[in-house]
Formats: sequence, structure tokens, C-alpha cells
Amino acid sequence: MKQHSDKALQFLKDEPRADWHDQTLWIVRQKRDKAARSVADWEKLRHQASQVKDHVLSNLDQYLIQFEKQAVANGAIVHWAEDADEFNHIILDIIKDKSASRVVKSKSMLTEECGLNPFLEKNGVEIVDTDLGERIIQFRKEAPSHIVLPAIHLKKEEIGELFHEKLGTEEGNSDPTYLTSAARAHLREKFLSAEIALTGANFAVAETGTVVVCTNEGNADMGVHSARVQVHCMGIEKIIPRTQDLGVFTRLLARNAIGQPITTYTSHYRKPKPGGEMHIVIVDNGRSARLGNATYRNSLKCIRCGGCMNTCPVFRRSGGHSYGYVIPGPIGAILAPCTDIKKHKDLPFASSLCGSCSNVCPVEIDITNQLYRWRQEISEKKLFPPLKRYVLKVAGFAFSKGSIYDFSGKMARLALRILPRAIVYHRINTWGWERELPAVPSESFKEWYKKNSQKEGGQK
Amino acid sequence: MSRDKILQRLKKNAPASGSLPVYAAKTDLLSKELLLSSFKENLAVSGGKWIELDRREDISSAISENYPMVADVTKQDVWEEYSPSCSKEKLASLDTLMIEGQVGVAENGAIWLDESNFPNRLSPFIAKNLIIVLDIARITNNMHEAYQQIKMEDTGFGVFISGPSKTADIEQSLVYGAHGPVSLLVVLIRMTSL
Amino acid sequence: MKKYRIGLFIPCYIDQFYPKVGVATLELLKKLGQEVCYPLKQTCCGQPLANTGAEKEAIPVYQNFVNNFSEFDYVVTPSGSCAYHVKEHFDILKQTPEVKKVRQNTYELCEFIVDVLKVDDLKIEYPHKVGIHQSCHGLRGLKLGKSSELMTESYNKVRGLLEKANGIELIKLDREDECCGFGGTFSIFEPAISAKMGKERVHDHLRNGAEIITATDMSCLMHMEGIIRRKNENIKVVHIAEILNSNRL
Repeated sequence: MKQHSDKALQFLKDEPRADWHDQTLWIVRQKRDKAARSVADWEKLRHQASQVKDHVLSNLDQYLIQFEKQAVANGAIVHWAEDADEFNHIILDIIKDKSASRVVKSKSMLTEECGLNPFLEKNGVEIVDTDLGERIIQFRKEAPSHIVLPAIHLKKEEIGELFHEKLGTEEGNSDPTYLTSAARAHLREKFLSAEIALTGANFAVAETGTVVVCTNEGNADMGVHSARVQVHCMGIEKIIPRTQDLGVFTRLLARNAIGQPITTYTSHYRKPKPGGEMHIVIVDNGRSARLGNATYRNSLKCIRCGGCMNTCPVFRRSGGHSYGYVIPGPIGAILAPCTDIKKHKDLPFASSLCGSCSNVCPVEIDITNQLYRWRQEISEKKLFPPLKRYVLKVAGFAFSKGSIYDFSGKMARLALRILPRAIVYHRINTWGWERELPAVPSESFKEWYKKNSQKEGGQK
Repeated sequence: MSRDKILQRLKKNAPASGSLPVYAAKTDLLSKELLLSSFKENLAVSGGKWIELDRREDISSAISENYPMVADVTKQDVWEEYSPSCSKEKLASLDTLMIEGQVGVAENGAIWLDESNFPNRLSPFIAKNLIIVLDIARITNNMHEAYQQIKMEDTGFGVFISGPSKTADIEQSLVYGAHGPVSLLVVLIRMTSL
Repeated sequence: MKKYRIGLFIPCYIDQFYPKVGVATLELLKKLGQEVCYPLKQTCCGQPLANTGAEKEAIPVYQNFVNNFSEFDYVVTPSGSCAYHVKEHFDILKQTPEVKKVRQNTYELCEFIVDVLKVDDLKIEYPHKVGIHQSCHGLRGLKLGKSSELMTESYNKVRGLLEKANGIELIKLDREDECCGFGGTFSIFEPAISAKMGKERVHDHLRNGAEIITATDMSCLMHMEGIIRRKNENIKVVHIAEILNSNRL
């Protein structure tokens, strides 16, 4: 499988487009800063959110039991899925049970993770993603490139062409208002004829059995209140204990994600509508196992705001599709190896460890530390090619012995001085693709020091 | 059973517990004027509009020019027209829906409503335009305080609405009326209803 | 000012490629009345190995560092990333008194001057337009300043020392603390992004009129200098130690 570095190289080949992608997301980061600055106790809020999530992780079984009890008392039907496969089958069973074939879905990274769409389509179910960005990528048969802004990698001309093909809009018309109203009409028809509406869950409140979904478009509500059957899908870690804890998260989420004080709609689903049916599917898919790993369990605190992606200089310049995992960016780089360390061994290295993501994370996940620790684990599991492992072993030995270190340094400098440019800047020297190596001084600091301290009468 | 396996694993893998934070009852003491101006500002930023009136009786004359076809569900007969069993076509034909809001939030221009405020859960989303009537006295500072005033146990569906429906999914260009209403008007009433 | 016995740690790439920076650091500390020793058997802080995932292989390197430096009151180094690495990642060594002492007392040059010597005016002469590159490990790791993501009180130890320089003009950047993309072995394993990030930093400084880019980390500057020289850009890099050493002390 192509590594992140190969895909990033491809992404950067179209430099103006890469710049546009970078600048677009940087603007979102700046909007986030402005919104965060307007909240008097922003850092305190982050800490409170982190505390709530830490507390929940220590008592997750209790809170899930409480949530289920409340939800059932409210008239909802609660299902549990160990893994992606079981989840997909539960959804299919609900659909088959209603003899339904028309399903609408609002944004849910969980369903992406489980591969729900292709599974349902294989089983003859039309599933329509109703978030505009998601519908666009659904038409294009590609994955979202960002968890909050799924079509951020696309230009309006490309969307115009796509809608001309799929919705019959005017050829060459790429006006966002025009295209959006075409999508509105198209999706309205889907909403009104939907038999089942699926949603994700931003938060699930144990105290009251409430599922909270945040959207700007209102597409979750359009589906949920139109269709007779509503199904809310949540990872086990979406639980928060009390209604009052929502105060913290609803103040943080939209500000940190896109710089808005709140999303247009913050919907609280508790009971089915009169004559309707409400299902909640609780999914594990590796999360409970990850809880047992002290190094990586913090990643379970994630509220999927996407803030880390917007701030990450590597994400902005390589795009979400370079990561090869359903969730890209810094959080993706620490989640993916949990699922398949061999497949995703490149992701913890797709980072300069600058630390910006950890500072931006609303629940104080130590992303940078986890990236560093994944690197150690990948190395220990001998997932590096043998040559790299050997080189590192030798380097470890050489760098621990003063005399060998000095000697290797001297040789390296000598080599750089005498080797022809063509050899020094051979393609294998990746530093040299776009950079000059430093100029070689006539003596190292150590050599200078020895000479000069002898003059002065010597110091150690 | 999956449920039991999952719960067992969670119990086994649980880390040492920390305590939950305790939230201050009231964060800042802001004046009514400041709450109101903050609310208006944030509503406007989300694309919502507002007008300020003395009494509810003044509403129909104030809005009739811009909103000729208002379904005012605060009136019993209109409420019944849009009951849960009402047809989708009828709902889809809603030009403007007018409903009551319960709590306003100054820090973000949002208003909390629940299914006691509209007869049909789809109605506030499917209407082309939405008008929410709100007593100025019910504007509170932030989400913490708003949640303190909401009785979640009493409702089957509730929502904070902070503006017209919108999207920026096409090259970050902001467009109103993605799927829900293309406009939101908040009618702020100065005299508290008894 | 109190006189301390200081062990001077010179990072491997400064030792090999930028000895002037070591010389400036040594001279400055002496001017500030300190007793400065340079253990000759020192090698490296182990970062290049550890960041690549080979922290176990780096343990002998860490040990060599501790052996060379445990006798001193303070260990001072002209490198934010090395100081951070010692303080943070030497946690995998057995925490003997020597290890703890070294971890606690290792300082990057600017934070040593500001926090330990408590000097805020070095009487610097530097009539140039200077852009400060906020090296990530120093900024976010050692907290040499408030990074732009955090909503707390603003402060910056590096800027604080430079502001008072006679004749200096500190330019304002479009992105005040974005990473330069060096990231150690990141520069070799993700060369395309690394170079692109470096180019963007250099252009930010050029756009805003800097003649000189300075930083606490020569690694960042070496990376940006590599780009500058390849593209023949009209801007120079100068390590903070050399600027701080241009003084009337």
C-alpha cells in the first residue's frame, strides 16, 4: 500500500492547489482562534471537558447501563454491536424488518468506519448521505477527506460538473447558491420519501437517555422527523454523564471545529415520535480493547471536532486522502495503528511532532505524545525494513561513544567536502531534493574548543 | 451476548477514576442590556434576523408585510392543522412557521424549543421560513445556564436553533437554506407574558 | 549575578556544521560571569534515534549524556529540542539521583538567561530586521512562549531578550508559530512536505521584510538555510546565540 509520504508527494505536485487547500484550512484554524478567544475561560473549559471524559472512561460500563435503562424507558430500542460486521447486520436487519429500501443518513464517521454504505448497497438498499459535503463525495464514490468538512478538497467547478452529471444542473454553472439549491430540492425528495433515517451521535447523555446531534444544515432533523423509523449510531465512548455536562461540550465543539459559537441545530432526541420508532445502536469495534491500553486510551476522549486537522501543517499540505484511514490527520494517525499497526505504520511518522494538535484538542488528548509512543512500538515490533533497523542500531552504538562519534562526524564532513555534487545530491539523498546541505566548516566545535582551551591553559 | 462481552471488557479495562467537574451556578453577572445585545449580535452572525416589540399583540402587524403567509401555531386551530398525522405535502407547503421559544442564549444567539412548542417535529425544519417568538426576559448568558433551565425529562425532542439552515460545503462559500429554513426571524418581546 | 558551574552541551549538528553557534554560546555565558565547562566525551542527546522510534537503542547515548553532565549545577545548550528531549524523554532511564538532577537542570540558552540568571537586558547591538522563528520544541515543549493555539496570557522569553536590542526591528509574521517542517528524520522520510513547510516559513519572513531569521534551534535554521541557498533567496539565518552575543557586556 502506498505510504503517506508517496501520496503527499503526489498532492504537492499541484502546488497552487495544495496552497489553496492549506490556506482554506488555515482560515478555519484562525476562525477557531477568534471564537476561542471570545470565551473567557477557554482553557478551563478544555480542562473540564477532559475531566468529564476521563471520568467517563473509568466508569463507562456503568454509564452505558444507565443510558440504556433511560433510553428503553423512553421507548427506544437499544442494540449492541461488538464489531463492524455485527453493526452492519443490525442495521440491515432493522431495514429488512420494516421492508424498507429507502434510507437517508446524516453524518456519521462511525458508519464510515464500519463500511456501512457499501454493505447496504450490496444488499439492495439505497442509502443516501444527506449532508451536502457527504452527498458530493458519495456521488464521486470517494471517502471524505476531513471528518467535518468532507468535500474540502474539491473546487466548486468540480462540484458544478458533478451536479450537471448527477442532478442535471446547468453545464458550467458553479455558483454555490445555485448548486446548493439544486441539492436542496434533490435531497428534499429523498427526505420526504425516506422510510428510515440514520444519524450518528455527537453526545449520548446517560442521565436522560438523550442522543445529541449537531448540524448546520438541519439534515439530521429533516430525515429523523420525516421517516417513521429513526436509528442513532454511536461509539461507546460518546457517552457523557449528565445534561449539565452538555454545557461544556456544546460551548467547545463548534468553536473548536469551525469557529462558530454553536451549530445551527443542536438536536436532542429522547423519545420516538408519535407512531414512530426509535433505535439506538451502541458500537464497540475495538474501543473497549483500547481502553485497556494506558498509553493510547486517551484517544477515546475524542469528540470528532476536526480541530487537529485544521491546525496540522502536515494535514493541510497533504490532504485527508493521504492517510489511508477513515479518520485522517493527527487523531487518525494515533487511531489507525490501533486497528492495524502493519498497514498504518507510516502514519505516526507523518508528523514533525510540532505539538500544535495537542494544544488545540478540546479534550486535552496528548496526541503528540501518542505519536511518539507509536513510533517506539512500531520500531520494537520490528516493522521497519531490516536495513533501517540495522542503521539505527549502529547509530545507537556510535553515538554513545565519544571517540566513534567524533570520528564519524569527521568522516562525514570530509566526505561532503570531497565528493562530487552529483553523488552527494543523488536522488537517494531526499534532503537534497529541494535543499542544499549545510556548508562544511573547517573544524568542529570540539576541535575548536580543544585548540583554544589549550591556549587558555585547558578546561576539562 | 455482545452487550455483556462489551460491558465486561469495559469493567476490566477501566482506568482509575477521576472526579467530575463542579460547575458554577452562574458564570458572569451580565446586565439584561448586555445579554440582549450579545444575543442579537450572535444571532446576526449566524444569519438570523430580529425585531423587538413591546407585546405579542403587535406581532402580526409588524411582520405581515414581509411574511404574508404565516402559520401561527401559537393559535390552537393552526396547531391542530399541523398535527403529527398531517400529510407531508401539507408540511412541505409551509411558507412561514411561527412558534414560541423557551430559553435564549446570549453567547451564541440560540433558542431552545421542544415539542411543546410545535405540533409536528418536522415543521420547524421543513418550513421555508421560521419565526421564533421569545421573551427578552428569558435570555440567559450561556449554555451552562440554559441547560439548568431545561427540564430534559419532560420532553421527547428538543433543539437549540441559532439561525437559518446553512452550509459552506462548496468551497467554503456560505449559503443559507441548505435543507432547513432559508431564514430565521426572532421576535423579541419586551413585556413578559403572564 | 550568581556564578554557577555550567556544563555546556553542544548538539551534534552544531558541533559538526555550525561551530560558531557553540562559540557564541560559550562566550556569552562567560561574559555573564559563569564558569563554563565543555565535557569532551559528550556526543548527542539521542533525539535523532528516539524520534525515529529507536529510544531503546538510544539508552547508551542517554547514559553517556548523564555521565558527562551530572556533576554540573546546570547544563546549558543552544537548542530547545535537545533540552526538551533530555527533560521529557530521559524518563525511560532508571531515575537515579544523577538522572533526575540532569533532567531538572538542563536548560535551553534563552530560558537559562531569563529564568535562572534573571537577566532581561543583554545590551545587544543588532541594527537589523529580524524575524523570530518559534521552534516548536522550545515553544510548545519548553514553553518558551505562549503558542498561538492557547488562550492564556501572552509572553515570550526569546522575544523578551531581543526586543531590547539596540537598532533591532522585529517583524510580524503572517503565521507566527507554524512549524518549519524539519522534524528531524521527518525531513528525510517526508521530504516533499518538509521542504514545502520550510519554503512557506522562509516566504513568510521574506514577505514581511525580514533580513534575518533567528531561532533557538539550529536544526530549524539549517533546514530553512538549505532552502534559502537552493533558491538563492535574499535572507540569512542566524542562531539566537550569535545575536545575543552581539553585545556590549
